Amino acid sequence: MSHPTNLPDPMDPLDDLRTNAPSRIASADTVAELDAIEADTVGKQSLIAEARRGLGAIEDPDQRRSEGLRINEVATELSDAIDRRRSELASAELEAALAADRVDVTAPGRRPDRGSVHLIQETMDEVVDIFVGLGYTVASGPEAESAFYNFTALNIPATHPSRLESDTLYLDYGEEQEEVLLRTHTSPMQARYMEDHDPPVYVVVPGRAFRADAIDATHLPVFHQLEGLAVDENITFGDLKGTLAAFAREFLGPETEVKFIPHYFPFTEPSAEMHAYAHGQWLELMGCGMVNPAVFEHVGYDPERLSGFAFGMGAERLAMVRHGITDMRTLADPDVRVLEQYR
Amino acid sequence: MKLTLSWLREFVDVPDMSAEDLVDTFENLGHEVEEYAVLEPAFRGVVVGEVLDVSPHPNADKVRLTSVDVGSETLEIICGAWNFEAGAIVPVAVPGAVLGEDFEITRRSIRGVTSNGMICSEIELGLGDEADGIMVLDPDYPHAAASIGSDFGEVIGLPDVWLDLDITPNRPDCLSVYGLARDLAAFFELPLRGYDIAVTESGEPSQMSVGIHVPAMNPRFAGREVRGITVGPSPHWLRRRLDLAGVRPISNVVDASNYAMLEFGHPTHAFDIERLGNRIETRMAHQGETVVTLDGQERGLSTADIVVTDGDKVVAIGGVMGGASTEVDPETTDVFIEAAYWDPPSVLMTSKRLGLRSEASARFERGADPSFCALGADRVAQLLEQIAGGTSAPGPVDENPGDIRPWTITYPLSETKRILGISLGSAETTRLLSRLTFDVEGSDPLEVTVPTRRPDVRRPVDLIEEIARLHGFEGIPDSVPHGPGDGLPFRERRLRQIRGLMAGAGYHEMLSFSFIGASDLDALGYAEGHAVREGISVVNPLNDAEGVMRTTLLPGLLKGASVNVARRIPSVKLFEIGKVFLPGTGKLPDQPDRLGFVDAGVPASSWLEAGREPDIYDGTGLWEMLAGNLDITDWRLEASTWPAFHPGRCAEVVVADAIIGVIGEVHPEVAGSFGLTGRVVAGELDLAELLVDRGPWQYVEPSTYPPIIFDLAFEVDGDVSTAAIVESARQGAGELLEDVRVFDVFTGASVGEGRKSVALSLTFRAPDRTMTDEEVAPIRRSIVEHVVGAVGGELRGEI
Repeated sequence: MSHPTNLPDPMDPLDDLRTNAPSRIASADTVAELDAIEADTVGKQSLIAEARRGLGAIEDPDQRRSEGLRINEVATELSDAIDRRRSELASAELEAALAADRVDVTAPGRRPDRGSVHLIQETMDEVVDIFVGLGYTVASGPEAESAFYNFTALNIPATHPSRLESDTLYLDYGEEQEEVLLRTHTSPMQARYMEDHDPPVYVVVPGRAFRADAIDATHLPVFHQLEGLAVDENITFGDLKGTLAAFAREFLGPETEVKFIPHYFPFTEPSAEMHAYAHGQWLELMGCGMVNPAVFEHVGYDPERLSGFAFGMGAERLAMVRHGITDMRTLADPDVRVLEQYR
Repeated sequence: MKLTLSWLREFVDVPDMSAEDLVDTFENLGHEVEEYAVLEPAFRGVVVGEVLDVSPHPNADKVRLTSVDVGSETLEIICGAWNFEAGAIVPVAVPGAVLGEDFEITRRSIRGVTSNGMICSEIELGLGDEADGIMVLDPDYPHAAASIGSDFGEVIGLPDVWLDLDITPNRPDCLSVYGLARDLAAFFELPLRGYDIAVTESGEPSQMSVGIHVPAMNPRFAGREVRGITVGPSPHWLRRRLDLAGVRPISNVVDASNYAMLEFGHPTHAFDIERLGNRIETRMAHQGETVVTLDGQERGLSTADIVVTDGDKVVAIGGVMGGASTEVDPETTDVFIEAAYWDPPSVLMTSKRLGLRSEASARFERGADPSFCALGADRVAQLLEQIAGGTSAPGPVDENPGDIRPWTITYPLSETKRILGISLGSAETTRLLSRLTFDVEGSDPLEVTVPTRRPDVRRPVDLIEEIARLHGFEGIPDSVPHGPGDGLPFRERRLRQIRGLMAGAGYHEMLSFSFIGASDLDALGYAEGHAVREGISVVNPLNDAEGVMRTTLLPGLLKGASVNVARRIPSVKLFEIGKVFLPGTGKLPDQPDRLGFVDAGVPASSWLEAGREPDIYDGTGLWEMLAGNLDITDWRLEASTWPAFHPGRCAEVVVADAIIGVIGEVHPEVAGSFGLTGRVVAGELDLAELLVDRGPWQYVEPSTYPPIIFDLAFEVDGDVSTAAIVESARQGAGELLEDVRVFDVFTGASVGEGRKSVALSLTFRAPDRTMTDEEVAPIRRSIVEHVVGAVGGELRGEI
């Protein structure tokens, strides 16, 4: 008996299976149903298995090979169909499961606590970064300081009113001849740094300073300053102006206009105040000037060979200018509702 | 220094400009303007008039009929004041004039006679308090007689600009109208008018003699005797200038002295000669000597105070304040005007010590002009001639043993280039300095002679400052030098990292003042004698609660938390990085940097999870996180008891066998005294160990082989520390241990009274192979042996 393999023979069980099983597979609705069909069609008790077992009985090798190929062909067809259907059913089931797992994504999430770095610190860091970009290094110094470094080394005479207890907080410490006080500015580090380092010096010093001031909207007895010092051969007032104007543009915006007006500090000469036009008004941003030769003499630098400029700015003021804070006391407030705004 | 533009214009023809431009001009000269105002007349249509005739009113007794020449016409005006006669020069509100906001002057009939305007008083013109009588300008406003018909406001200098200048301490010469006029003249390159100080001497020569005992303290003493004065109020023009300068008018003698001081900067003092006698000596005060000063206070003097005596008793404290015994009073007729020069530091120290600061001491302590003494006395004498009917006696006094003379500075022109960055030639530099009336000779170097009124100009750099100021800062081109720095130093980077880690862990950085009070240490539970109580006192504290330098950051943090709790904020996590101040062995206190933190309150519950009260493990876990990020490996925690902390929930942090700080739950009583309830976690760590640069960490290749993970649970005595179990397990586990984790600790009936069970999950992995169960068996045994050997107890279950 022989007939073309491309025409199904309804009397042949394998052909019958090949014709009818695909629709059963496609209509299976569950994985369990599909498992049953799989057992029935290609499993160990199936027609296919039975047909494979019957192959040995075919004596003609050619016929046996072609019948074997036909069985495999049918088995592969059905297995592929079952796999496709199984994957379809799995996807559908997963989709259904995911649909059932739906949540309200707009409900508040598990938010890690958000902390903050204090605005004064952020401000000082930013100023430091600008000067580090100009090749300055960073130093820090003692807050409890000697009267020598805070005043004398900075050319502030023994009779200067800023030394009085009405301005300066003194500590009950050490020998009477060497008064210890809370530094009234970060400027003592000018002298300390020059004593410890050979020129050239390019340094910024962020830190705390103290004055015997009553607390009000523009004064805190404990505040923060950034001191800067550049000493080298041929440092000029033009360098001071250019550097601080560059700083103002970097800190307040590229269009920032600045002006320098003459002022007086014992440790610089000529001295100036830099004002910057920001937020619709002229703001006094910092004091600055050329290092007074008397300061160089105190630290053993040769004032005829070296020159330099120094500047000092209040971190509180810089922060207030930029962030619309009008009362300095805000910066000393530990209220989390204040602190969490520092971002 | 408060003054008006009109006063400045007596000495220099300041160009017409807006008030804002005038402010800018002063700022460019280095004189900051604290406040300014444009003064407008409070009237319109008031002119200067001359009273030609005064006659009685035909129908009234209390008023008079006047005929007043107002330039364009002669007006009949009825006036109720009686303090003038024909010939007086007066302000006249002509019909149509407006006084104040809206009081319009019209022709009106008074008892049948038409009055064509009003002769005005000070108060009606908004120029003063004087309501009795009308203003009589002549001789008050000396130019008024020549200005009949002119606008009255213009004659008295209105509109005007009023300024309050902040004069820097190096410029005592600018504590005067004349000094500021000199600076303006230099700025605009305009001529400065001379002093015009002259007295008319008459009568017998003065008998006054002066002896100076300590020329170093009193280098010069000049004076002038003025006789026949009548003490009384000063004229309006003078009172008005004093008022605008912020100096209260008192009497013509005092006012003349103050006026001359404001005008030329040299303080003077008037003695009543009848009380003083004819001898003055200056010397150091004797120990225990006293003087009653003008304010009625008895002042104890020291040997550092320079005083003026009548040859015996102290009659004034030099440069600070006069004495009551020789004070000018309403009956005084003859005065001696003292104009001396006192050593500036001496005046400062005496006025500070006595708490007596005056306009005079402020000038002397910065340095008045020793060359101006005699002129200063004569200016007051001249004013007393003018306003108090005085006569200057011949024979002024001028003792000058100090003989302070102008000095000369040698100035190489190269300094301008070196310090300012601009090149100015000899001619240009000479021109700039000459504008300040410095005497300049030579070409390079210049020989610059500086007048004695400029004690701040001593060295070449002081001349550079003057050159820069007059040349203008804006004329110096900008340049930006770059330093050799190579980035942010490690310490700064590390501090930023620590702050970032704390913020990332949900903590807000706060800044507290560096002070604490004894009450804070009481609140922390530290007993007397504890090292934390050995704080360094502030000699002059802001207040008692801030009298000591902080020895710990905890009070600031606990107060910070407390502020939030008081404001009904449910949960607060704060940290601070800052110095504490401890007694040390050096010249300065030890000032270590610390990191402190506090975690208080219970976060509000969310729909996802309930808020959880913090406990010590939040604190120790925070440390573990920091240590891990900062590459600190040789650390351990040890149970400890610190006064401020819960005795059973307090750990010392030990790094490299040194205690660096403490973490724990704050003692409930301590928390309570700061207004905090519930468990409050806090810690304070020395930062030094956290700022150590440990160099780059070294990479360890992770194994690609599967791990073997097993659990071991030990039943141990309840006092055994988990850390000890973990540590001995590590020792027993050998080098293939990848991780050990405590996943369960429990106590209860099943483990027996006073005992606990600690369960470890151990992960092993070999770098080069898959480990086998056979390999692990001896490791398990080794771990159990080590743990049991170290802490006792037993394994739960089988090996």
